[in-house]
Amino acid sequence: MRQLFLFHKSNSGEIARNRLKLLLVSDQAGVNPGLMDLIKDDMIGVLSRYAEIDSGGLDLTVTRMESAGAREPVPALSAMVPLRQFTGKRNEECF
Amino acid sequence: MSEVIVITSGKGGVGKTTTTANIGTGLALLGYHVVLIDTDIGLRNLDVVMGLENRIIYNLVDVVEGNCRMKQALIKDKRYPNLYLLPSAQTRDKSSVSPGQMKKLADDLREDFDYILMDCPAGIEQGFQNAIAGADRALVVTTPEVSAIRDADRIIGLLEAAQMQEIDLIVNRIRMDMVRRGDMMSVEDVADVLAVNMIGAVPDDEDIVVSTNQGEPLVDRYCPAGQAYLNICKRITGEAVPLMDLDSHRGILVRLSGFLKRA
Repeated sequence: MRQLFLFHKSNSGEIARNRLKLLLVSDQAGVNPGLMDLIKDDMIGVLSRYAEIDSGGLDLTVTRMESAGAREPVPALSAMVPLRQFTGKRNEECF
Repeated sequence: MSEVIVITSGKGGVGKTTTTANIGTGLALLGYHVVLIDTDIGLRNLDVVMGLENRIIYNLVDVVEGNCRMKQALIKDKRYPNLYLLPSAQTRDKSSVSPGQMKKLADDLREDFDYILMDCPAGIEQGFQNAIAGADRALVVTTPEVSAIRDADRIIGLLEAAQMQEIDLIVNRIRMDMVRRGDMMSVEDVADVLAVNMIGAVPDDEDIVVSTNQGEPLVDRYCPAGQAYLNICKRITGEAVPLMDLDSHRGILVRLSGFLKRA
């Protein structure tokens, strides 16, 4: 069967690299990746009070940053949230 | 009737986790209710091999310590019917769980599953003792290398001492080209040296690397390793499947290049 795909270029190495990049950061931070999805959902809820957000485009990652009093960089949550429109006020109906 | 099966080897890197992932997936494809348990506390890997690493919230230690219910920790693999994973803890160590707790955990799962597969850590210390504690049956994975076979023999001894009811051997990463040249022990040689029933042999196959990269078991694919794993699954369920002729999977191009080399 494989001979049929002789000219098929596989990219599973690239897939592995991308998976590992995400995995190692959450491993080092000691955060379960599934927990990130829960945090995302909660954040969408809070932010929706103030703006119309593109929830599918929300990017939440664990990085590292310096922290006062800590000898080594500590895990840090970093979120990029695409906003469709600011409502300009606090919308109470969302809760 | 449910069966708890431990997949073990002694030596690391011979393919325990890959074997657990593929046999578990294969049994699920055959229609059984299956749960895979990663018992390697502190070095979990079954989640990445299964491609379920992004779905982990709770783990085995959380269940044992009562931080969550079993149902909350079990991850359902949506690609297959009735396949679940209980991931290990990454930030704890092997002493977090005792063999007694592990046996209870496995027994609790018997009610809902036909097959409970325990992926055992390398070594013969507490992680191994934990993984075999609740098992009815063991699959010992080895490769045709002296170091792996020696460790497999030690493991078989320990399993027998622990009164394991059924012990079967899987010879992994066999290369028929090398066996033919006389540079690798044959499947029969390995089974003979270890004097234990052989339930299947898996050829060395590039597709394994690709499938692990992708986080997708290959047991349902048409490739030598995929077919070998499916045969092993059928034998586990009691079906009599003749041993695969590993030579027949040599493709026409391989044979042609072999012919050209000789010419």
